[in-house]
Amino acid sequence: MEGLLANVLNGLSWGMLLFLISMGLTTIFGVMGVLNFAHGSLFMLGAYLSMQFVRWVGSFWIGLLLGPPIVAGLSILLERFLLRPLYGRDVSFQLLLTFGVMLFLDDGVRLIWGAAYHVVDPPPLLSGVIPFFSQSYPVYRLFLVVLGPLVGIALWAFFAFTRWGKILRAAAMDRQMAEIVGVRVPAMFTAVFGFGAWLAALGGALAAPHQSVGPAMGERIIIESFIVVVIGGMGSFPGAFVGALILGMLNSFGTTLLPDVQMALPYILLAVILLTRPRGLFGAEA
Amino acid sequence: MKKMGFAFLLAIGFGLVIAGSGIAADKPVKIGFAYIMSGPFATYGQFAKQGAELAIDEINQAGGINGRKVEALFEDDAGKPDVGIRVIRKLVYENGVDIVMGIDSSGVASAVAPVMKELKTPLIITHAAVPDVTGTSCNRYTFRISLNINQNIAMASTIAADMKAKTWTTAGPDYSFGHQSWEYFQKYLSKKKPDAVFLPAADVAFSPSATTDFSAYVTKIMNSKADGVLVSLWGGNLIDFVRQAADMGFFDGKREILMTLGAATEVLYALQEKMPEGIWVGTRYWFQANDTPINKAFVDAYFKRFKVYPSYNAHGAYGAVKTYAAAAAKAKTVDKEKIVDALEGLSIELPVGKITIRPEDHQAVTDGVWGKTAVDAQMPIRILKPIRAFAGKDITPPVEETGCKLK
Repeated sequence: MEGLLANVLNGLSWGMLLFLISMGLTTIFGVMGVLNFAHGSLFMLGAYLSMQFVRWVGSFWIGLLLGPPIVAGLSILLERFLLRPLYGRDVSFQLLLTFGVMLFLDDGVRLIWGAAYHVVDPPPLLSGVIPFFSQSYPVYRLFLVVLGPLVGIALWAFFAFTRWGKILRAAAMDRQMAEIVGVRVPAMFTAVFGFGAWLAALGGALAAPHQSVGPAMGERIIIESFIVVVIGGMGSFPGAFVGALILGMLNSFGTTLLPDVQMALPYILLAVILLTRPRGLFGAEA
Repeated sequence: MKKMGFAFLLAIGFGLVIAGSGIAADKPVKIGFAYIMSGPFATYGQFAKQGAELAIDEINQAGGINGRKVEALFEDDAGKPDVGIRVIRKLVYENGVDIVMGIDSSGVASAVAPVMKELKTPLIITHAAVPDVTGTSCNRYTFRISLNINQNIAMASTIAADMKAKTWTTAGPDYSFGHQSWEYFQKYLSKKKPDAVFLPAADVAFSPSATTDFSAYVTKIMNSKADGVLVSLWGGNLIDFVRQAADMGFFDGKREILMTLGAATEVLYALQEKMPEGIWVGTRYWFQANDTPINKAFVDAYFKRFKVYPSYNAHGAYGAVKTYAAAAAKAKTVDKEKIVDALEGLSIELPVGKITIRPEDHQAVTDGVWGKTAVDAQMPIRILKPIRAFAGKDITPPVEETGCKLK
């Protein structure tokens, strides 16, 4: 029982981190049709900025507040000057560009902060452990478990109920029609890309106290995030949520129960989904 | 006309190449290094590069190798076998290096060792610990001056035999290094302590190198009945593991813990006071382990220049360059075949102590240390106290056991 609960919590906390990152990925894809390879690097940048703010002002919260908008601002420039000229071209151009941006950011981070590992402390409020049966469980992980769904619900409400959310969905559904009725689609795309980057950086800032901050930390998480998005359905919020939960649970229970194939489980699931339901669990009908 | 101009340029280019090779007498001795310079383990490559540069500068200031200046070329093997083979081929064919050194990952070491035969170029491994490259797949051109898995685990099992833990499990990386560490640990410990129990394969914790969340593995170990844990994780994996495990109460004193590569300064600098006290940790070299003048000089020079204490990887690169210089002095040439002959049986005093390269399997017999993590108010990182030193001859398995058939 105790092991079961610990496994559930382990899976949830990892899943929620994946969810935050996948949400940005899936939003950018859903609205703009762009597969952003650099998303993992934006996540990494969020973690490094969080670390830098902790060093400067000693506060995790200020880093959480200020780091992600800086990454978003950078991404807005990226979208405006690098990505926008490519919208008319084949998708492979966007893939190549975002892949290049990823390499650039990975090396840039190494130039600025060096190759060493860095460690960020959780804020004092969340740094303790709570008793958990005969063992203990870190508060910070529980914080992640709670925060993930909250951000998810806020986003879902934004898309479902606000005027802006509706405009975004309309533009995603039919770009030309949206332009005809007066939506400034290019400006909106810029905003969406910035927003997706903000989510990635938020994920990074939240991951910083949880894992070591180092170069290429984004590459490790981007693959799992892509799997989450494909399993859940490209562009689907509930899909990203369920996909992230499944991957989180596969990770924790797979480790305990099926250690030999644990590493392959996400890929097996990916293959099964692609074969039986190519649009993903929650993907819209093609 | 345009074509003519291009042809001219080509001709001048060729001319320069030929002229360049003409001045052979002053040609520098070229050492190629292959380390992990990017990705999550990049800090290991950075320390190694610093160690190599320090050694090369010292040698050049003292007149070079056999009167020739030494030049270093660094390549990033990314910890991937295919990349490792590619960069070493490039170093040899394109840059014309006289020797190759380095290799962090055991996977890369296993892949490149056979290639050295084809390249007919000596390789000195300074970090990777997989036994095979100086064992069953040993060859004329492959050498290792750092401790291998057998040697390090021989020390680990000696320490484990004195502990009260009865049932052992492991947390290690899910590739040959982790699995072999666990395999040798079981073999050596059951010899020293026949009543030791080891958890079956399904119950131990091997994590893929890309893992950043170790909670599931920590939970698995904490819920098993093991009271002893051999941790062979290293680098970023070890940092993540220690931090997350500490939060989950793993270091509550209920289990004995051995970390085979816990005394890497790369890891200790990142963790600082988050490295728990009183844990037995292994290394390939510890900068405070001995007081020889040569070690003091190395540590002082390194700290003065780079503002950090040298890690075992820094020492590995430094030691390999010094070993090569000694071999070149002995052979009075840098001819690759004669260097191989000179390296066989070579003894040299390095900061770690005196090492001897066995001619039969090309593995260095080198002293090793383990220690218990402790606090020192004067130091920015955890230190080792007490330190347990092991003589190289006691921890190195005899040649017959390695499976190497060079001679």
